[in-house]
Amino acid sequence: MANVLDLRRRIRSVKSTRQITRAMKMVSAAKLRRAQDRALAARPYAQRIASVLASLKRRIEVLDPNTGNLRHPLFAVRPEKRILLVIISGDKGFAGAFNTNILKASHQFLALCEDKEVDIEAIGRKARDQMRRRYGVATHDVVQSENPADGSPLTHHVRRRKSRIEVVGDHPGLLEKLNHRVVRELAEEIIRRYTHAEIDACYVVYNEFKSVIQQRVVTERLLPLIEPGSHVIVGATEQTAEERQYAATVAAEAGISPFAEDTSEADEEAAHFGTSDVDYIYEQPATELLNGLLPSYVAAMLFHSLAESVAAEHAARMTAMDAATNNASEMIDSLTLYMNRVRQAAITKEIIEIVSGAAAL
Amino acid sequence: MATENQLQVTLVTPERILFDTTAASVDLPSRTGRIEVLPGHAPLMAELGAGDVSLQGSTLETTRWNVSWGFVEVLPNRVTILANDAVAPAAIDVAAARQQLEHAHRLWNEAGDDAEAYEAANHVLEEAQARLSSAETPVS
Repeated sequence: MANVLDLRRRIRSVKSTRQITRAMKMVSAAKLRRAQDRALAARPYAQRIASVLASLKRRIEVLDPNTGNLRHPLFAVRPEKRILLVIISGDKGFAGAFNTNILKASHQFLALCEDKEVDIEAIGRKARDQMRRRYGVATHDVVQSENPADGSPLTHHVRRRKSRIEVVGDHPGLLEKLNHRVVRELAEEIIRRYTHAEIDACYVVYNEFKSVIQQRVVTERLLPLIEPGSHVIVGATEQTAEERQYAATVAAEAGISPFAEDTSEADEEAAHFGTSDVDYIYEQPATELLNGLLPSYVAAMLFHSLAESVAAEHAARMTAMDAATNNASEMIDSLTLYMNRVRQAAITKEIIEIVSGAAAL
Repeated sequence: MATENQLQVTLVTPERILFDTTAASVDLPSRTGRIEVLPGHAPLMAELGAGDVSLQGSTLETTRWNVSWGFVEVLPNRVTILANDAVAPAAIDVAAARQQLEHAHRLWNEAGDDAEAYEAANHVLEEAQARLSSAETPVS
């Protein structure tokens, strides 16, 4: 039987754990609020870009009538042989099933791409580490050549594919300080690969977050752009009813509304951008406008996914830490009960010893 | 809401709406040159270049903003600017802009015959120049 001193030590340790989980929950709640605001603030731009793009696409033909060429390479639909999969997970653990769900959705998607070559762009340390362990990193050969113009040496990096699925790219710290500039660079890189036909499609796996009770893990197609302004979801896993209920209770305790903020008015205003029923003077020809609009659109979509994923991660951590705090409290209660029982037993034993000792005299 | 000879001007960046205000006129950099917009302008859709957006006759504290790349929609009584990046001139990091300028010159030299790289270098260059000139212009 454990002695009283050991039990007391254990209770103290569980108590300090509870303090940590409680602090983490509070920090996550504050971060969630900020992430939610940021995701909301990013919407007007994304929606305006989407609506002007949709309107432009309605006004002009995708194929240039004079030349018969596509107006922009991002509209090109090729058979999907090489796919880029962007996985957005979290940087840290202690967030319940958040990272596991993302990885599960990714593996489901990868299982569907049986004979296709897949490049994985993993954002967030958790996805990066697991995917690297499992599939390995893309390798590049360094090739030296001469610049044909002036004979100066040039170095090229030539991709050498070792296996069907490989991890490319590394984005440490991208989630920590979400910055549009960095996201845009990533979007431009993806567009470059697409226009050079290095990839035939681009999919994103992320946790969609409208509010604490409206979340799902989705696999969305980013490229090719067929219908700008609409989300093409190829796979989605909803929250279970229990998860939703629990998340709502925790959010209410932390003072966070479980419902999505009503943005219908702002949405409607944004939908008018570039879509007025008038004949615009387009300063640039449509093809040039598209050249500028499409990268902005892809960057805005990516930024949106990242912002929602960050909010979802904090929400998941908040819920997980609340559960951990409750578990610790229960454990403390049961340990205290046990300790009191042990102490009582020890006292009883001593009394019996004294009494029987006295009786023997 | 904007009255008859006022414009409703909105500046939106990917991260947030910077302002939504009324003004008598707006001066903005399009890709091909500066445009001044007065109320009653013909509907226009243009690409934004790098440079300063300035408002006349508005109640805002800062009436000049450095913007780079994006789009602008002009309607008779409304101007919506979608900028990839926007900063107040006072908030411009001059040292960083200088560095960017140097970086741009380097890119420019390395570009060689590659039209795409050349284009990209020009992009960075223009942005850095616009930033510097914006930071150096005295606050009016």
